[in-house]
Amino acid sequence: MSADAGEVRVHADYDADFVETAEAVVVGSGPAGAVAARELARAGRRVVLVEEGPPFPPSEFELDGALSMARTMREGGLRATLGTVMPTMQAICLGGGSLVNSAICVRSPDFVLDEWCERYALKQTTRADLDPHYDAVGQFLGIAATPDAVQGRRNLLFREGCDALGYSSEPIARNVRGCRGSGECFTGCRSRAKQSMDISYVPDAVRHGARVLTSARVERVRVAGRRALGVEGRVVAPFTGRPGPRFRVNAGVVVLAAGCMATPVLLRRSGNLANRSGQVGENLRFHPGVAITAVFEERVDPLFGATQGYQSLHFLREGFKLETLWAPPGVLAVRMPGSGLELKERLARAPHSVVWDAIGSCNRSTGSVRARWRGLDPKLIWHLHRDDVPILTHALYRLTEIAFAAGARSVAAGVHGVPDELRSLDDAQILRKREFHPADFVTGGNHAFCTTRMHGDPAQGVVDELGRCHDIGNLYILDTGVFPQCPSVNPMWTSMALAHRSAQAIGAEH
Amino acid sequence: MSAWLLLGVLAGIAWLRIGWGYPRPAREWLVLAPREIAFIQAAASATFPPGGAIPPSGADADVPAYTDRWLRRLPTRTRRLIRLLFFLVEHATLVIPAPGWRGFRRFSSLLPGQQAAVLEGWRTSRFRARRLVFASLRAIVTMGYFAHPPVLRRLGLAPRAIRTPVCEADLLFPPIGRGREAITHTRADLARPRETTPLDATTPIDPRYAEPAP
Repeated sequence: MSADAGEVRVHADYDADFVETAEAVVVGSGPAGAVAARELARAGRRVVLVEEGPPFPPSEFELDGALSMARTMREGGLRATLGTVMPTMQAICLGGGSLVNSAICVRSPDFVLDEWCERYALKQTTRADLDPHYDAVGQFLGIAATPDAVQGRRNLLFREGCDALGYSSEPIARNVRGCRGSGECFTGCRSRAKQSMDISYVPDAVRHGARVLTSARVERVRVAGRRALGVEGRVVAPFTGRPGPRFRVNAGVVVLAAGCMATPVLLRRSGNLANRSGQVGENLRFHPGVAITAVFEERVDPLFGATQGYQSLHFLREGFKLETLWAPPGVLAVRMPGSGLELKERLARAPHSVVWDAIGSCNRSTGSVRARWRGLDPKLIWHLHRDDVPILTHALYRLTEIAFAAGARSVAAGVHGVPDELRSLDDAQILRKREFHPADFVTGGNHAFCTTRMHGDPAQGVVDELGRCHDIGNLYILDTGVFPQCPSVNPMWTSMALAHRSAQAIGAEH
Repeated sequence: MSAWLLLGVLAGIAWLRIGWGYPRPAREWLVLAPREIAFIQAAASATFPPGGAIPPSGADADVPAYTDRWLRRLPTRTRRLIRLLFFLVEHATLVIPAPGWRGFRRFSSLLPGQQAAVLEGWRTSRFRARRLVFASLRAIVTMGYFAHPPVLRRLGLAPRAIRTPVCEADLLFPPIGRGREAITHTRADLARPRETTPLDATTPIDPRYAEPAP
């Protein structure tokens, strides 16, 4: 493959309708799509990678959280579910969520994969099956545990709290090279340390000849009978979405990796495609996140250190994962209780504060993704199931326990009905004793799954375990929508491993 | 006839109560109307009053200007919902009065103590919808307050200066909205040494957030 065969086209490059022809078209440049595009290109396939968002060079990064999200996230970062109202963010940029996530890489635990295989009639999705693909991705991205030198005090306090209580904890493995601990993962890494897809897999795909169309929104998958012919859509202006020229990509294989929200909408907009099972857009699940803010006597200087540097997988089987967290200060301050001078007093303790969060594996809480009557934005309905509420309260209690074990003076749990400030573990007993309602929580859910789930039985799932649609043999889905259940840990690495495996299968079969 | 007259008078009173009397802004705004500017300023001042542990107040932070910039970037539908939220809180006290004397006024016309009491009522409501409205408003105002460099400097949270290294991707795509001719980097830039020292409190503040020279 010649070194200059590939290219990245940007909005300014389009002046008329156009048609591309490829062996494979990949829709979506997030972790799964970028891996698939690179692996297919590396296998010598002519690949077109289509991304609705623009590429973000560092000169475009905003340091302010809300202004950044308004540009890098769909619906300005204010997308939320109906039912149980919960914000959920999906990126719209080259590299997808990897540009604005905290680079956490965790392999799905054995018990999760075993359950997937058992309950969803999967035969090749065991630890042994997936490990070679995790390894390949990990090697390419340099995934490694966060070193102490860039942990910062707020991450190390978490370790101290876990150690004091005998809970296991570990430095988070991340796809970074040369992290300086700026804590800016969510607004784009100015140090260029995070190996987001736009600076890792996508350039390598281009090096192997892939053509990348950015600011190009796929609106329909074209099919004839039970065969996908390609995709078509419009060029859209960055940020405004103003439609421009039309395009079509004819391809022998169509790979959808547009994300758990966008892929089902695209399938429905394409004539309710690949939906003989009736599962497209169903089974929406999240890892709802809750968090505490803990204030310490010592100065923590929370600005410094890896955005999310430490985690505890100790309680995975009880349904939650604990981790440290940092985000733009304005975003974190939103969680602080109170108003007026009292609020200012609390905010003034920021140099002594840490934020730690938990993500819950809430498999009973489900919902759906539907197309809105206009456009391609999804209508999301999701309900936090009453039986999943104890997972969140238990997680908050454990975080609070860890904080006090690490020497915290006070903890804010951010739950309605719980005092604004907990000053001892005795105060926190309310989290264990009282029965809470789903509406009492302020949650956020950025890991979304299952809307095009894999299942060995075509009547119960949209794709098989290689991501191939049961209904259309040359249409593949590779985003987190194919997960049959919550993975219990951050999904990026698993999504990339599955995409790596699927790309190899596509290369072999088509 | 008298019924129509009565209706007209009531409509006139409603208009006066809802839309009349907002100061005209001294400059052009991208999105916000005068009533929204007044409301956001009042909400910011009630949330972050003068004095206390952080010297700048909500009024000092010019939260309306930040909100205006932010709203400009949002999709139309989302922007409309946010503006509806402003309208709702600004005028809710015309229906359910604030505590104290002359509580039947728009939020922005209430006394500071009344404004604080109204916000506290939204925050602690037993209805989740009201709490969500408060949380949304508080989030907007707080993000505006935290965009004010003196606030971040006071809290030791001002972003640090980072020299961004050039990577291969920077040779592939230009800044947003520009053509390929705007790619200024070359392969030679890839060889520049990268900074590796972890950031800490001694790292200089990013010039955009640094204190202006006297």
